[in-house]
Amino acid sequence: MRLSTYTKPRINNTKPTVKNINKIRIALAGNPNSGKTSIFNALTGESQHVGNYPGVTVEKKIGTIERDNKIIEIIDLPGTYSLTAFSIEEIVTRDFVLKEKPDVIIDILDSTNLERNLYLCLQFQELGVPIIGALNMTDEAQKSGINIDEHQLGIILGIPFVKTIGSKGKGVEELLKLALQIEDGSLPTSTRKLNYGPELESQIEKLITILKTDENFSYRYPMHWMAIKLLENDNDAINRINNKHEHSNAVLKEAEKSRSWIFRHFGDDSEIVVSEQRYAYIHGACREVVKTDSLSNKIDYTESIDKIVLNKYFGLVIFLGIMFLIYHLTFTIGNPISGFIDHFFSWLNLLITRSLPEGILRDFLVEAIIGGVGGVLVFFPIVLLLFMGLSFLEDTGYMARAAFVMDKFMHIFGLHGRSFIPMMISTGCAVPGVMSARTLVNPKDRVLTILVSPLMMCGAKTPVIAMLASAFFAHRAGIVFWSIWFLGWVTALIIAKIFRLTYYRGEASPFVMELPPYRVPTTRGVMTHVWEKSWTYVKKAGTFILAASIVIWFFLYFPRPHKQMAAYQKSKIELEQKIENQTKLSNNSIDENQLILKYQNELTELNNDFVNRKLKNSYAGRLGRFIEPVFKSCGFEWKVDIALIAGFAAKEVIISTMGIVYGIGNADDNENADMEKSTPLKQKLQSDTHYNARNVLALMVFILIYVPCMATLAVVKKELGKWKYPLFLAGYTLILAWTLATIIYQISGFFPIGG
Amino acid sequence: MTLCDIQYGKNFKIINLKAKGEIRRRLVDMGFIKGAEGKVLREALLKDPIELQFKGFKISVRRSEARQIFVEEIN
Repeated sequence: MRLSTYTKPRINNTKPTVKNINKIRIALAGNPNSGKTSIFNALTGESQHVGNYPGVTVEKKIGTIERDNKIIEIIDLPGTYSLTAFSIEEIVTRDFVLKEKPDVIIDILDSTNLERNLYLCLQFQELGVPIIGALNMTDEAQKSGINIDEHQLGIILGIPFVKTIGSKGKGVEELLKLALQIEDGSLPTSTRKLNYGPELESQIEKLITILKTDENFSYRYPMHWMAIKLLENDNDAINRINNKHEHSNAVLKEAEKSRSWIFRHFGDDSEIVVSEQRYAYIHGACREVVKTDSLSNKIDYTESIDKIVLNKYFGLVIFLGIMFLIYHLTFTIGNPISGFIDHFFSWLNLLITRSLPEGILRDFLVEAIIGGVGGVLVFFPIVLLLFMGLSFLEDTGYMARAAFVMDKFMHIFGLHGRSFIPMMISTGCAVPGVMSARTLVNPKDRVLTILVSPLMMCGAKTPVIAMLASAFFAHRAGIVFWSIWFLGWVTALIIAKIFRLTYYRGEASPFVMELPPYRVPTTRGVMTHVWEKSWTYVKKAGTFILAASIVIWFFLYFPRPHKQMAAYQKSKIELEQKIENQTKLSNNSIDENQLILKYQNELTELNNDFVNRKLKNSYAGRLGRFIEPVFKSCGFEWKVDIALIAGFAAKEVIISTMGIVYGIGNADDNENADMEKSTPLKQKLQSDTHYNARNVLALMVFILIYVPCMATLAVVKKELGKWKYPLFLAGYTLILAWTLATIIYQISGFFPIGG
Repeated sequence: MTLCDIQYGKNFKIINLKAKGEIRRRLVDMGFIKGAEGKVLREALLKDPIELQFKGFKISVRRSEARQIFVEEIN
């Protein structure tokens, strides 16, 4: 017989239910840094999959296992300190418990911080769900001389407790056993023992009476919990009453009365009084069951490390050093792998080009599909490696310190200490940069950080800007390049400040942040994080990038110049014939070899001329010419405009497209676009009278800032969930880039620049 | 006297919380209630934020938040 006060509405009570078909659902909850993930991993093994909670981008991890012929679904709830309605994580957790009504909640508690962890545990109890407490990190608690009598604690709070060590999987089986016993009713739990004292309880009683006037409502929510939430003036609870309670006005009026009564009686807000009572109760319980061995000679390693790592002066140096190391390692290891993947796709292209007949299908496969898939996978090693480094830092507990070190500086610009890392990573690649903004808990901070991170000079903009700088600024190219790099940071910070003062203004979000004890990360933990993040990138962003790549291909490919094509084919065949004939007759004399070379050159020129015409004639080419007047003020001609349109696919494409428009062929045919390969383009641009230091400077700034590549826009959509964000990002960067480029081009006319 | 005025290395006891809204809620949830004790450990480079040893854990708050926590210095 179940002894609990938990009243789960069993709507289908009348129907006979077959136990085996019903899944048992266990939710894992707990404070951040309580070791929830390691318990989740120990419980579910390999059977995890990651999704999102409906409507928000909070990750939802689910694992399914089987025990005693029962299918058990284990849901990982976000880590929270409380169940208020302030953060997405807390709302998600609360909604999940209220709507989905899991069979059991396992609350993971950090034994070294029992009081604060029990604060959350008791709120779950108030929600009326069957609950088990896992006293996790028992080993660490014992080391620091904390001994908890879990049976006594269970009796006092009305919840069964199990001692666990998540990282070693200890106690996990017992948790599962208890969960099953609770589910089948053989073990009582959640008998609320917490008493808020006669004054508060009398107000709670009053509110429950009036809440019960709506029968449907009182069936839906635990009444004691609802009454407390009303005393706490909880927005979410008030909304629920407004929307769903028959006598909402009367209830809210009564709640108002109760709150002011408490204020008069205690001299403090009722929300504070409620929390104080809860803490007081927990404190009393802990005094009875926790024995602290003050003689144990424990060394506070965390404090010893913090003395160095958070040292007022060394702190910043250490932080920048660590960031540089991770960044450097990622790109030195990742770039060759990316290069390898790139080569693989080039090889695949060649294979298809050779085995399929010329035509639209072949071009589509080679340019759109392989180009798109390759574009996704080329980022993969970088994303993977970067997240390996970041997950390692996160799991050691250093991430919070990094935020501590950088917070003041970032806060000047309306950002959060944690905003620095996504921005820093974006100087390598904005795709993982935007993804790493997940460490920002507050949605405003996160949106703001994501909206400015793509302004950084990334790995794909680098070769384009470096090429332009070296072509037009000679010995000053280095300074010019780094100034542009630096401009990325300055612009991002200023724009962040502007957004904060305008659209995203409002009450500052609390910084209040726990600095968790340092821990040695487990390989398993780090790899799980890394895999989840990288794989969702490929799956979610990948589909969009592929689609966008097809669209861009379409614009660059159609309409086809049929007339010119026939003429081109004819001359091509003629030339090829000539070369072939000459080669057959050849007796290797110098004259004849030169003749062959001449024909070959003609053929190349013919090819270049043809791709040039094709591009000019395409929709993108027409668009480029059509928009030329708009970019006249920046000093760009239509050829540049086409390259910029193509650069939306990926910034490095700007070089190859310019190669085509300037009739020197595809500058990066089967090679990575880098400075040496684009030397012919460089010379071509230098000799082109249209170019000078003025418009090249404007162009570099424009490329730095204008619309992020589609891969970035895809992850922005994925991370923030709504299309309005990538659209806004694309819009404002385009306007900003145009404005800055125009200013630079117009003003620089008054100064002698160039080198 | 607010938490902002406590020198690092010194202990404090909370008297009252003047914070409003979300910050107040966060602080209370973390155990910043009347009578709770802690120690100021250090400050970051630009004097902000500050790190506290509070009950069994370490926590950092901005000075703007610390200014809303009324405390007394204890030994």
